Amino acid sequence: MLENRKLILAHFWLAFAAFGLALLMGAWQMFVRSPLYTWISNPEWYYRSLTAHGTVMGYVFPTLVAMGFGYAITESALKQRLVGVRWAWVGFWLIVTGSIMAMVPVALGRASVLYTFYPPLIGNAFYYIGVVLVVVGSWIWVALMSINLRVWRRTHPGEPVPLAMFANVAGSYLWAWTAVGAALELLLQIIPVALGWRTTIDAGLARVFFSWTLHAIVYFWLMPTYIAYYTIVPRAIGGRLYSDTMGRIAFILFLVVAMPIGIHHTFADPQVGAGFKFIHSAFTALVALPTLLTVFTICASVEIAARLRGGRGPFGWIPALPWRNPIMLAVAFSFVLLGFGGAGGLINMSYQLDSAVHNTQWITGHFHLIFGGAIVIMYFAIAYDLWPHLTGRALPSLKLVRTQLWLWFVGMIVTTFPWHWVGILGMPRRMAYYDYADPAIAPQAFSVTLSAIGAFILLISGLLFLFILATAHRQPASEASEYRFSLPIHPVRSVPLALNTFAIWVALMIGLTITNYGYPILTLAARSDTSVPAVYVGAQ
Amino acid sequence: MSTRELFTFKNAYFSASVGITAGLFVLTALGGFILLPYLQKEVRFASLWDAICSAAGLPQRAAAVATGKVGPRLTEAVLTPTMLARPSQESIGRGATLAHRCAICHGPTGLSRADSPNLAGQYASVIYKQMLDFRSGARTSAIMSPFAADLTDQEIADVAAYYAYLPRLPAYHPERKAPKPRIVIYGAPLRGIAPCGSCHGSLDNKVGSPWLEGQSEVYMREQLLAFASGQRRNDISQQMRNIARAMTQQEIDEAAAYYASQPPDVVKAVD
Amino acid sequence: MTVQEDHHGAEVAVRTEKRWAIISVLIIILLAVLAAFAGIHRATMPQARVETIDPTRLHVSGEFVESNLGSMLESNGTVTVRAIGQQYSFTPACLLVPAQTPITLRATSADVVHGILIQATNVNAMLVPGYVSEQFMRFEKTGDYLMPCQEFCSFGHEGMWGKVKVIDKAAFAERAKNGGRLSCVGE
Repeated sequence: MLENRKLILAHFWLAFAAFGLALLMGAWQMFVRSPLYTWISNPEWYYRSLTAHGTVMGYVFPTLVAMGFGYAITESALKQRLVGVRWAWVGFWLIVTGSIMAMVPVALGRASVLYTFYPPLIGNAFYYIGVVLVVVGSWIWVALMSINLRVWRRTHPGEPVPLAMFANVAGSYLWAWTAVGAALELLLQIIPVALGWRTTIDAGLARVFFSWTLHAIVYFWLMPTYIAYYTIVPRAIGGRLYSDTMGRIAFILFLVVAMPIGIHHTFADPQVGAGFKFIHSAFTALVALPTLLTVFTICASVEIAARLRGGRGPFGWIPALPWRNPIMLAVAFSFVLLGFGGAGGLINMSYQLDSAVHNTQWITGHFHLIFGGAIVIMYFAIAYDLWPHLTGRALPSLKLVRTQLWLWFVGMIVTTFPWHWVGILGMPRRMAYYDYADPAIAPQAFSVTLSAIGAFILLISGLLFLFILATAHRQPASEASEYRFSLPIHPVRSVPLALNTFAIWVALMIGLTITNYGYPILTLAARSDTSVPAVYVGAQ
Repeated sequence: MSTRELFTFKNAYFSASVGITAGLFVLTALGGFILLPYLQKEVRFASLWDAICSAAGLPQRAAAVATGKVGPRLTEAVLTPTMLARPSQESIGRGATLAHRCAICHGPTGLSRADSPNLAGQYASVIYKQMLDFRSGARTSAIMSPFAADLTDQEIADVAAYYAYLPRLPAYHPERKAPKPRIVIYGAPLRGIAPCGSCHGSLDNKVGSPWLEGQSEVYMREQLLAFASGQRRNDISQQMRNIARAMTQQEIDEAAAYYASQPPDVVKAVD
Repeated sequence: MTVQEDHHGAEVAVRTEKRWAIISVLIIILLAVLAAFAGIHRATMPQARVETIDPTRLHVSGEFVESNLGSMLESNGTVTVRAIGQQYSFTPACLLVPAQTPITLRATSADVVHGILIQATNVNAMLVPGYVSEQFMRFEKTGDYLMPCQEFCSFGHEGMWGKVKVIDKAAFAERAKNGGRLSCVGE
């Protein structure tokens, strides 16, 4: 039951259009800093593009996907009309306004500070205000998810919340809380300086605030992907979900431990105590748990589908899988990329190993592999799965869809594997050009070239994706069946209250934030002698 | 559904999750605040409490350490990016009066005909810092040092404000059609040279760095050579010596010639 | 499928699931123990103290004045290296250190956030203005290393590369015997 198709389509189309533009910039960046191109004569253009690419890919694109998907889940999983459609449109237009407001100063070169802000560098105030508006728009969505669940509970007292909606609401709460760190940094620290009300800023405190957001935001990006693993994949390949309970536990674990671990992003920083670095490092290990649980449940669910199709033997079931089904292909690719990316993540989580790769190209390779690879490929799958229900028309060609997914998978590997390698060689991040002619870094030239080629494969795949979605609107109308999510193999009759509600978990998340972040933040915020003069970027 | 039902240790989910989380926190806190500090051989802690405070990240002022003496010729000017911003009309007026004595060399409109720097529209912080350094002896010049000797901080700020206020004019230097030298646009990364414009105004301005377009070629070459040889060292923490030292003679010539031939219209404003 | 069979199937499923959950927890404990072990035995640890400093006055007084930057042989045989990062260079631009000697690197930033990374080593620290970064290091072999700034520090970031030169321990001691601060600037 998808009533507000226009709303959902608006979110998806804005997300994917922004994604297309940012992808173009990404490919351009990979090209100009590679040995394939002579050095760029104005490095500021590179940093400008990098700021736009990061801001769109990090804040705008995944937020819109989560929102659009969240509205679709609300209507189809709860089987009720979305409550607060008007507010949903307000949220959407806030994001549009915020994105434009942020991107104008970036395009004019007045805010080339990168999406990570990095005070005391300060850009134009409208950039930061635009980002805040995007976040505020998404908070409306968070509120709507919560309200819609409450409305449903009133008519279905004591019933288990459908897993898709449970996960969706967990994701929205995670986002609401994790966005607070960057919001505090922007509202209390950066924007007053950008507006000229203050001229000094505590750069160390700003980095602590940002780490609050920076790690868990990845899990917010991941949420739609995991929801798709649990609730779309088993149904789409003709199987059953192995376990509904494990799904709930995985999403609860994400909600609780994804956020209070962010200080591992500041391992090499001088303003955080070693004790808190250790605590966050240990808690970071925990966040691997929901992923391990998910890998098991999804593999088991996929196996069920294979056995239903006649697969036999300990491994013989694998060829029996519906490999021509795009969703099957996407989840397989996503798992492979998640496996490599997760292994890299385990390395970053350890202080000792991280110090060999911190802020090298390894890190960029790592999060492109996780986000661009494992996560975004499932965004594609979600779009392909939902599109016929949103447009009332079938996708033009499954062969084209498969080609697109293959290209993305191959492109992501060609891009990120050499990227990791040059990181191990010590290539630093975020430079507009490198002197590959110098014998000291000449060995990196080949790998960087490969990465740039990979970026173009990704660009082709991304454009193909947009082409498929666009042409789908012109296909002959066909009645799509009702949109539904996968069923667990053993029907869920009742769920313990704790696994059907969020109160304990939200309380635990906030409690852990206080224990893990309270002291590092307060001790710096209470001092005035750690503030340093702001440096206005681009001599404004 | 009631909160009382959830938040009770009778609820296995509540007791297990709170117990595990709290246990893990206590365990890691013991490890992080007590065990690990004492495993670090290079650091000695005064007491257990000192170890805990340090591991928690309680900020301490850097301990006073024996330092080498600051040489007499190093700058003591302290610059911040927003200092001297938006000077008053009175300050500019006083600066104009003071500037009469500068006009012989620096020109009545702030454009020099004598290979002295053009000052019209130069960043205020640049003029301010150089005058402070001439006064303190961090930078020496037979002509400038006596002029600076008896100026107060306020007078120096006034002169800086006046010249910063004057419009940037194209200089008298002939325009050449030479291509932009590599050293100016790209720098030389592995020699530690960033593009000139990333400090000197065409891309970004680092506080205290002048814009250079249309300045005297002879003057700029001399200064680069003086920085390279260490004869001039009033740049804060070697920021310009680091660059000039790494430049070749040819690059110094090219950069000086290039900047001398440029009109000042690419220079970014700074307030 | 009868209700009973279904019930039995569900039990099997739960049991398998629990087994996997236990394995997952064990994997994570193993990883944590490995990380802790590396921390204790390889002794690369985050800096022990948070120290603050005024970045605008580094050159005026305190341990980061120009004449105190560079490498210094301590009386106990270890070496302390002091350096600053600023847009867009490190001072000293070339660090000179001895091989096979415990070295303490103390560094800070004079303006914006920078990073100090010595390629092919695990020396890697952020320089955040207002705070002093401290890292212990040791080089086994002599040689030259690149030391790029690893954090975006505005539009000249791509040109911020320093160098490290590791020389023989005896040669270093010879050069250090007159006191003073050593660097390989201009070599």
